[in-house]
Amino acid sequence: MTVEEELSAAFAQHEPLTPPAGPLRAAIDRKVAGRRRRRRKLRVGAVALAVLGLLGFAVPQLTPYRPAREAALLPGRVAAAPTGAVNVLVLGLDGSATEERPRFADSVLLVHVPADRSRPYLVSLPRDMEVPIPGHGTGKLNSAFRYGAGQGRPDLAGGYELTRRTVSDLTGVRVDAGAVLTYPVLRKLTDALDGVEVCLPRAVSSRHTSRVFPAGCQRLDGAASVDLLRQRQGLPDGALDRDRTAQLVVAGLVRGAVDQGVLTSPARLSRILTAVGPDVTVAGASLLELVQLAPELKSVEPVGLGLPVSPQPDQGWRLRPDPEDAPAFFAALRADRLAEWTAGHPDRVTRLR
Amino acid sequence: MTYEEFADSRLTALLRYAVMLTGDPHQAQDLVQDTMVRVQLNWRRVARADSPERYVRRMLTNQYVDWRRGSWVRRVLLRGDPDESPPVATDHAQDAVERDQIWSWLSRLPRRQRASLVLRYYEDLPDAEIAEILGCAVGTVRSSISRALATLRAEHMEVCS
Repeated sequence: MTVEEELSAAFAQHEPLTPPAGPLRAAIDRKVAGRRRRRRKLRVGAVALAVLGLLGFAVPQLTPYRPAREAALLPGRVAAAPTGAVNVLVLGLDGSATEERPRFADSVLLVHVPADRSRPYLVSLPRDMEVPIPGHGTGKLNSAFRYGAGQGRPDLAGGYELTRRTVSDLTGVRVDAGAVLTYPVLRKLTDALDGVEVCLPRAVSSRHTSRVFPAGCQRLDGAASVDLLRQRQGLPDGALDRDRTAQLVVAGLVRGAVDQGVLTSPARLSRILTAVGPDVTVAGASLLELVQLAPELKSVEPVGLGLPVSPQPDQGWRLRPDPEDAPAFFAALRADRLAEWTAGHPDRVTRLR
Repeated sequence: MTYEEFADSRLTALLRYAVMLTGDPHQAQDLVQDTMVRVQLNWRRVARADSPERYVRRMLTNQYVDWRRGSWVRRVLLRGDPDESPPVATDHAQDAVERDQIWSWLSRLPRRQRASLVLRYYEDLPDAEIAEILGCAVGTVRSSISRALATLRAEHMEVCS
C-alpha cells in the first residue's frame, strides 16, 4: 500500500467520527441570533415603510380633531385640505436616523390621490432603477437620498429633497408632500393598530430571523411586519417583490385602521400620532395636514402599481423605466388618469387582498 | 439558494471535512460553528459567489490554517492533543493500526500541508481547485503535497524498519 492509498483509507475510516449536524445547526442559529440582536442595537432596521401618509388619507372623520395647537405651529399656513390631485412621496429608509453612515431610500412610494378622491394609488418606484440625479449624473434611485443626506449623521430633509427632485424630474409630477420613515416607526404604528393582516401570494423565509411567513393570510405584529418588509433575497423578483410586500402591508394597515374605527376615534388616533409622530420627518405639510388631505375619499382600498421597468440591455441588475410602457404611465399620472391606465394594464396591478 | 437550503444540504459534508482537517470531532464542531455563524451573517455575500460551497470551504480552510490568530484556538488547545480521538472499530485490526498511525502523523504536519492532503486524497479535488481554496498557486499546492507525503513516508520508514 502506498502512502497515498493509506491516506485515503485513513480518511475514509475516520468518517464515522463526524458528529451529527442537527445540534450544531441549532447552536449556529442561536449564536447568529445573539449576534444579530447586538448588531440591531447598532443599526436600527433597514428599509422602512411608508404608511403614515397613506394612513392620513384614510381619515374621513377627523374634522372635530383639528387642534388649533397644530395650526399655530405652522404660522402663515392655512391647514385646509388641498383640491385637485395630490401626490405624496413616502421614503422608507434602510436604517435609523441617528447612526452615522450613508443612508439609502430603499422604498420609494408615490401615493397618488386623484382629484375625484375615488381611491388612493400606491406607485412603487424601484430602488434599483437608474435615473438622472440632479447634480450627480445618473445613479440608482435609492442613492439620491444618500447624496442629499450628506456625510456623517444623515440630513433627512436634504436626502428627501434630492429624492423629491429626482422623482419629480423622472415622472414630471409635482410632489405636494412627503415623509421619511424608518423601521421603528412602522413597528410602532403596526403595534398601535394591534398588528396588520397581510395575504402573501407565496411563502417568505426571513433572512434575518428564523421566521417563515407562509403563503396566504396572516396577522403580523410590528416586529414581524418589519421583518417581512426587509425580505428581498430569495424572492423571485427581489426588490420588486419587496415593493409589492410593502404595498400589501400598507393596504393591510389602512384596512385595519378603518375596520377598527381608529380613524373615527380622535382619542385613539391622537395616541397613535403621538407615538409615531416624533419619529417621522414630514416635508411640505404637517402630519395633520396629511391626515386632513382627503376627508372625502370614496374608498380607502388602495390600488398598488409598479412603475413599468425593464433591465438595461447590458447590465442585468440595473433597471430603467420601460421605454414602451413608462412614458404612457407617467403621462397618465400627470394627467390624473391612472384609473384609465390601470384598466388597460391589469397585469401591472398588485393584488392587495 | 437560501442559507437554510445550503445548511440542509452541505452542513454534514462540511463537518466531515472539518473532522479530516482537525482530526477531532470537537474541534471540527467549533471550526464549523464559527465559520457558519459568519456565513449566515454574511449570507448575501456568500450567495453571490459562483459556488457558495467552494466559498464556504475556503472560509473554513482559512480559519483552520490561521487558527493560531483566531480566538477559538485558545479554547481548542485546552482540550489537549487531537490524537485522543476514540478508536474506530474495524475488521482488519492491523490495517487499522497503520491507519491510526498515519492519522496521528497527520497532526504533526503544518496545517496548510494537511489541508492540501485532505483536499486531494479525501475530497478528490483537482489541484487547481485546491489552489483556489488555499489561495495560493497550483505549484505551491503540488510542492506542499509532495513535502507532506515525504514527511509521512519518512515516518513510515522509521516505524517499519
